[in-house]
Amino acid sequence: MSALEVVGTSKIFNQGSPKQVDALVDVNLTVNPGEFVSLIGPSGCGKSTLLRLIANLLEPTSGSVSVNKKTAAQARLDQDYGMAFQQAGLFDWRTVSKNIELPLELKGWDKAKREARAKEMLELVKLPEFADLYPWQLSGGMQQRIAIARALAAHPPLLLMDEPFGALDEMTREYMQGELLRICGETSTTVVFVTHSIPEAVYLSNRVVVMSPRPGRITSVIEVNLGSKRNEDTRAADGFFRSITAVREALRGTHADHAAANAVRGVEDR
Amino acid sequence: MSGVNATSTSARTFRRARQVGPAIVFGVAFLALWEFAVRGFDLKPYFLAAPSKIGEQFIKSYSRIWEASMVSGGNALVGLVVGTFLGIAMSFILSRYRFLGELVTPLAIALNAIPIFVLVAILNNMYSITSEIPRRVMVTLVVYFIILVNVAKGLTQVRSTHVELMRSYAASEFAILRKVRVPNAVPYLFTALKVAAPASVITAFVSEYFGGLQNGLGSRITSNIANSKNAAAWAYVLGACLLGLAFYIVSIILEGIARKGEAK
Repeated sequence: MSALEVVGTSKIFNQGSPKQVDALVDVNLTVNPGEFVSLIGPSGCGKSTLLRLIANLLEPTSGSVSVNKKTAAQARLDQDYGMAFQQAGLFDWRTVSKNIELPLELKGWDKAKREARAKEMLELVKLPEFADLYPWQLSGGMQQRIAIARALAAHPPLLLMDEPFGALDEMTREYMQGELLRICGETSTTVVFVTHSIPEAVYLSNRVVVMSPRPGRITSVIEVNLGSKRNEDTRAADGFFRSITAVREALRGTHADHAAANAVRGVEDR
Repeated sequence: MSGVNATSTSARTFRRARQVGPAIVFGVAFLALWEFAVRGFDLKPYFLAAPSKIGEQFIKSYSRIWEASMVSGGNALVGLVVGTFLGIAMSFILSRYRFLGELVTPLAIALNAIPIFVLVAILNNMYSITSEIPRRVMVTLVVYFIILVNVAKGLTQVRSTHVELMRSYAASEFAILRKVRVPNAVPYLFTALKVAAPASVITAFVSEYFGGLQNGLGSRITSNIANSKNAAAWAYVLGACLLGLAFYIVSIILEGIARKGEAK
């Protein structure tokens, strides 16, 4: 059984008008339960669009998206996924705890149950002492951890993330990557992760999906065989660099001009 | 422990004093200069009254100034409350039905561009000359637009991440309104109130210059000037200042209560 299935899906904006944009054309993607899949590619390759199709924040022009064997729309109604964005998107007028409780409020949980779950989630992201503070009192990395706690509060089987660490500094970013792997491992959550960063995609993922623009499409899928236990040593492993090179080459192939430049250089090298 | 507390309390008092100190010194110096100028250059009372004379008049006619303040302040308060509620109600309607906003906005701008005075004169003709209604309507109108523009902005200018997040939770439009738009609009409402509160007082007594009942601060200022009672007129001006200040302070206190614990 797959956690997520995207079949022959296209998304065309402003169809038929001169401003028509083929954001995604004939995309097929299957993600297995517990798998971590990154979407990577240059701006305009449709990676965020694909994430929003899975989240049912956008409707596909053609094709189908199913989450947990349900339609994307039904999965959204059932809160079968949690979502995190580049901006933590916490609500300034809610305490940290109340921010985490928001999806539970919308599910109609009672107060005691919500508070218990918020406490549990704060333990998970290792910020239990911050429950009663307001988001502006936390650092960017902490805010993003709260956003992840909120996304996972309802224990969804799927987590969708749109460049969640894009606004963080490099050190915080690497720390957050480790934390994310730990949290998803502990909760056996399936993740679809949009990023611009090759090392980030490789470090986190079982598979890296490489996409290309005009029209937005999947050009290759790269398996990352670094095992399930990853730590700081992983970043120095040969396999890590091999995968980074593989992803980088796949990405170069997505630019026609880069590909041509490489071909010329390739001749000189020989 | 208590020693630590005492230190921090006195430190806070000191910081507070450093904040308000310069303002107090400036105020006292300004009054002293004023007093000195009037006495030193022997300025006639009909030209400029000395602060001491104004103070004397203020104490002497304190009860009448208080009565007049209650009349103008009452008009301002009625207009402020009604205008605020109408403004909030309308901003909800406008943010729900955007096309209405496009219809109403040009009309609102046009109405706002009419000088107050014209409207008061017209309203005085519409109602009896012994009615407080024209002034209250005038204040209501002024407050209404200030509140409407700001609260409508607060309801519509929410962060796109917040809206996407709520959609991902399959939240209804009503839930988005209640949990995102309304809390987002609260600071906008209080910003508007801080402008609208003093404006309501100003509007209330400027409205009195255009006939009608002669019982408010504005009409008292006019009649005292007409009778060359300059110091008395200034005493009423002082009353008007204090009234406007009171309205402003109350709006700040309300904001503090409503947004307790939140970001400044």
